[in-house]
Amino acid sequence: MTQNLPIPLSLLQPGDQGEVVLVQAKGQVRQRLLEMGFIRGARLRVEKLAPLGDPMELVIKGYHLSLRREESSCILVQPVAG
Amino acid sequence: MTLTVALAGNPNCGKTTLFNALTGARHHVGNWPGVTVERRSGTFEHGGTTMEVVDLPGTYSLAARSEDERVAVHFLASPEVDLVLNVLDASNLERNLYLSTQLLELGKPVAFVLNMVDDAENRGVRIDVPALELLLGGPIIPTVGNREQGINELKELLGTMARGESNRCRSITVDYGHDIEGELAKLQKEICRDEQLEASMPPRWLALQLLENNVEAKRVVSESHACEAITQQLARSFAFLEPHLGADGATLVAERRYGFAHGLVKEVASAPDDKKSPTAKLDALLTHRVLGIPIFIGVLALMYSLSFVLGKIPQDWIADAFKALSTFTAARLPAGELTSLLVDGVIPGVSAVIVFVPVIMILMGCIAFLEDTGYMARAAFIMDRLMHVMGLHGKSFIPLIMGSGCNVPAIQAARTIESPQDRLITMLVTPLVSCSARLQVFIVIAGTFFTPIKAAFAIIAMHFLGLGLAVLMGRLLRSALFSGPSSPFVMELPPYRLPMLKATLIHMWEKGSIFLTRAGTTIFAGATLVWFLSRYPGIANREWTLEYQQQRHAIAALNLPVVESEERLKAAQLAHESRIVNSSLAARLGQKVEPILRPILDPDHKRAEAWKDVIALTAGFVAKEIVVSTMAVIHQASEEPKEGERLSPLQVALRDGSGLTPLTALAFMVFTLIYTPCIGTIAMIRREAGSWRWAAFTVGYGLVLGWGLAWVTVALGRAMGFA
Repeated sequence: MTQNLPIPLSLLQPGDQGEVVLVQAKGQVRQRLLEMGFIRGARLRVEKLAPLGDPMELVIKGYHLSLRREESSCILVQPVAG
Repeated sequence: MTLTVALAGNPNCGKTTLFNALTGARHHVGNWPGVTVERRSGTFEHGGTTMEVVDLPGTYSLAARSEDERVAVHFLASPEVDLVLNVLDASNLERNLYLSTQLLELGKPVAFVLNMVDDAENRGVRIDVPALELLLGGPIIPTVGNREQGINELKELLGTMARGESNRCRSITVDYGHDIEGELAKLQKEICRDEQLEASMPPRWLALQLLENNVEAKRVVSESHACEAITQQLARSFAFLEPHLGADGATLVAERRYGFAHGLVKEVASAPDDKKSPTAKLDALLTHRVLGIPIFIGVLALMYSLSFVLGKIPQDWIADAFKALSTFTAARLPAGELTSLLVDGVIPGVSAVIVFVPVIMILMGCIAFLEDTGYMARAAFIMDRLMHVMGLHGKSFIPLIMGSGCNVPAIQAARTIESPQDRLITMLVTPLVSCSARLQVFIVIAGTFFTPIKAAFAIIAMHFLGLGLAVLMGRLLRSALFSGPSSPFVMELPPYRLPMLKATLIHMWEKGSIFLTRAGTTIFAGATLVWFLSRYPGIANREWTLEYQQQRHAIAALNLPVVESEERLKAAQLAHESRIVNSSLAARLGQKVEPILRPILDPDHKRAEAWKDVIALTAGFVAKEIVVSTMAVIHQASEEPKEGERLSPLQVALRDGSGLTPLTALAFMVFTLIYTPCIGTIAMIRREAGSWRWAAFTVGYGLVLGWGLAWVTVALGRAMGFA
């Protein structure tokens, strides 16, 4: 999977990997995401989606995290070939 | 000499286990002033020094946005703290070090505990502790918290550090790079114009928070006389940094901190191997697309039966013991006010408090177990989509379901929800979920007025109505009370771990004792108040008491067979109590408020005694199951059916004498479902929400909503031709 333009994290499929380009969220959500490791260049891998399709589970900085679509759609990532 | 150690760390880093290992059983659970965050502190002695350990809420950061973080920062910055102990999860070092970079800025001596070293080693991560110590600038003790390894060494270290005798502390802070450091220095200079501000927290820390655009820091600055100078400098700093470094302050600061943490980890730890961790294998099953939900329902069913089926056994023992005590006392003491206070007020009041303890302890034990294993986060992950539709959090699901057993522990269970808004909304809607006590009322009423099949439908309908209302009210309260964006659902899924039995037992004991001391008094007071309302003034009427005693003597003098004599004695007692209750303050209240309830309980204005329902409903305030026994007294009919009969004398009396029709009976059920939570639930809401306001709000909205829906029931029913 090679693409040049960054896409929202919510579009990645389970198994896909990416690098964080930008956190577009504002305020409290933004600060929280930064603290949890969503900084420029951070590598992440989408693990799976919850049985009802939302939220998603991903691995970043070596730990597992779950994000709702609301939050994952405002994180831009550059897909990276696993 | 007592020295204070603040225990700080990320959630799930094993902080509480370490706290238990350090302080043993000697600890105290309270609340932080003004908030509902639990404050746990305990002491231990080492080398003649008493150390007080305060377990701070687990946080990922000190940005002071959430209640937990505010509590942590405020305490860490206070002069009370002599020493900070930062617990690091060795298997997740990089993210854990983010908090450390902030702790190091606070200017207090920091010691580190590298916990769960065994977990890290299982993942192939080896950590060079001396190198880490050098780079972090604070002493590090590796431990395995749940095996109490390294605890003595840790106590020793804390002792020497607190006495200022350790030479292992050097103050190290993150280097934010030339540009940011330059701006930080300028900001600090402006901050130091205000000496008070300078003394309240390290200027560098404040400057960093300002660069991060932190609301709390801005508020602090706005109160300073140097506010203008600081704000202007901040604007200049942003104007310089953002175009120069290509991102806003918050991103830059976070990047540098993670850069520091990442560099450290690269330096001191080997990379984890690629083999699948046990957690990944378990998760392949537990959060499986298809199997995840059935497994969760299974876990829920198990938890429910443990709490409410198994828990009912000791609950019944307690109830029976108190009933026996009350019968015993009544038989030994002369009839009168004091006896009644004891038999009908105090003993049932104490009983009403203690019966909750087994259920609370078991349910809280189950929840603590799920939390500590890491499954709770998965449960929230699985259910979040559904709960999000309701305007709630994935973790709200368990309290709502447990509410159908008993609302009281369910409200306590809401504590697992981190966001205060989600927690509050969950607590406020949980009372709408029909509990097992209300079920008893429904069984009697529905059994009286409907055929068995229709009765079953009516009872099931009540449960769905309760759940449906909880959903609706959840959405409504979310939009009415908290108009802002809901708190982010950024939830860690920690690795699965086997919790220690000791920790779970300590937790259960704490929850049980907190309930007894904090909620118990309220419940007891409420029970006594209702006793007063439903017995006075009749209980003080000497003539009635005398008459009753004469009747008893007369029956005894007849020398009837034991069975018949007891039956007559019971009938006389019931008649006596009935006379008292039906002329009580509660009865007068009933007559006063009857016009308000007329549209729902007596739409045709044919029931002369509709006010009697109010007495039963008032008594239901103590505990919903008391509605039935009170009705038995009011209508002078036993609630126990005679052999071979489907309906009890009470049910016959209700059917033939109360004037309720099937439709108004249904309205009565709807009203009973919603009108007010029982005093136990109210006491718990008060305790968990931290104010009487929310408890009063729950009662208020319950009464309004209950009346409204009962009215709708009657109106709809009549429109459809039912009576």
